[in-house]
Amino acid sequence: MRRRASLAGAVVSFLLILAIVFGSRLLRDFDSALLPYAVATVFLAFGVAYRYTVWISAPGARRLFHKGWGSFFSVANFRQAPTALPKMIATYLGFQKFLGARSHARWAAHQLIFWGCLLAAAITFPLTWGWFTFTSSTGSGPGYEMRIWGFKVLGFDALNVVGWLMFHGLDIAAVLVIPGAGYFLWRRMKDRGAITGQRFAYDLVPLLALIVISVTGLLLTFSSIFLHGGGYEFLAILHMVSVVFTLIYIPFGKFFHIVQRPAAVGMQLFKYTARRKDEEVLACRRCQEPIDTAPYVENLKGTMRDLDLGFDEWAEYCPRCKRVLRGNAYLDHVKKGFK
Amino acid sequence: MMGRTIFIDPGRCIGCQACVSACRECDSHRGKSMIHLDYPDEGHSVASLPTVCMHCEDPVAPCAEVCPADAILVTADGVVQQADTTRCIGCANCVNACPFGVPKIDLQAKLQMKCNLCYDRTAYGLAPMCATVCPTGALFYGTLEELQAERPGVQVADSFTFGSTTVSTGVAMVVPADKVQWPVPGGLPVVEINGRDVR
Repeated sequence: MRRRASLAGAVVSFLLILAIVFGSRLLRDFDSALLPYAVATVFLAFGVAYRYTVWISAPGARRLFHKGWGSFFSVANFRQAPTALPKMIATYLGFQKFLGARSHARWAAHQLIFWGCLLAAAITFPLTWGWFTFTSSTGSGPGYEMRIWGFKVLGFDALNVVGWLMFHGLDIAAVLVIPGAGYFLWRRMKDRGAITGQRFAYDLVPLLALIVISVTGLLLTFSSIFLHGGGYEFLAILHMVSVVFTLIYIPFGKFFHIVQRPAAVGMQLFKYTARRKDEEVLACRRCQEPIDTAPYVENLKGTMRDLDLGFDEWAEYCPRCKRVLRGNAYLDHVKKGFK
Repeated sequence: MMGRTIFIDPGRCIGCQACVSACRECDSHRGKSMIHLDYPDEGHSVASLPTVCMHCEDPVAPCAEVCPADAILVTADGVVQQADTTRCIGCANCVNACPFGVPKIDLQAKLQMKCNLCYDRTAYGLAPMCATVCPTGALFYGTLEELQAERPGVQVADSFTFGSTTVSTGVAMVVPADKVQWPVPGGLPVVEINGRDVR
């Protein structure tokens, strides 16, 4: 499995290197000052592909992976409910409705982090790969052109609102991320539920990393506007180190949920497509309460068999009936005095 | 079996629901009770059965094994934790695979929750909420030696059979002395459903 995961990592990182080389027009548009970031993304690609391969090799994930992607690519599903998938992607991945059911404050804070990080990634990744360029034909502006892979997509005036937004996109991202991550950090200090079992490297490091990246990023702008570039080099290195560390940390810590979360859409789509046919809901064999869709229960039983859990037929009973049947067995065979 | 753990004695349970109420006060799942209190022969018998997470040791935590998102962590002390909120995708695999019927799920929040042995308390040497309030000692928290010192001659079992599979657990049940050498029947194979023989 490790060999397969290493191979997947090597292939994905090699493809990314090719995409960087060709996307930057054979490195003509590549900004060598951003080299450490680009190298970190190559490591990130390796790590994500490696961890993803290891993850989906486990029986539970492997079966869900097949069912989820099977539902995703099913033409029949798409014909029956063409809006189901975009709706699920928007509610689960974009607006994360399920987080609102957990806590409104956590939902709001997570949305700030999510959109902030998404904005930052959409700007920095293509920039460090040399895919985006901002050039001015008049030397120092104010007329700028934004090019992607060498093709002009946008011309703008650096001094108007569009220009300001283009050049301060990362500052906006930082302003979104800091309160979100700050709230979660505060919660990790105060909320006894969150504190239970929390681990420094898993729960606190990601928040500290986001805050350090955002604050140092904002300080770079502060330095260039108010300090005439004072301390800029030191801040740039600090910012770069924190970003590189975070990118390399993504596959191995809490941030891996970014890669895992789309599995929720696959799982929901798999259940949704089966639920559309009413007869496919499996009822508890004892009390007739619905358990879940028949294909889902069959999938779970397959997972249990893969894992040599020899009680897969138990999955056809609801949790309460399992407890009651165990109580009855105790009553009949272990301790009659239980009565 | 873990060093300090919960010992369940259904024979002592009077079905008062004190454990259910106390469980709601646990800081790690405030407002939601994770303990189950069932009346196996309701209408005919006053027998009641409290169910906490049994913290399966062998096979280790079937709930964690079937989890497609690696969301259930088993800590070094053998406690099977509730799902990591970041990872849980709310698929309910754990709910339907658990042989003891323990995990609960909030489908809106896409989150599994379960008894975590009151980790906020037991990690600091305090007894879980349920065992703290149980008026009859049906839920006892401590070591086997402490239990036997308090109840001389008591015997416990920490393995359960489900069909041909035996599951060893971290939490144990009190059994009569003559039954201690056998695993406790877990209810599978099911021999009777609603008065009908299904063997």
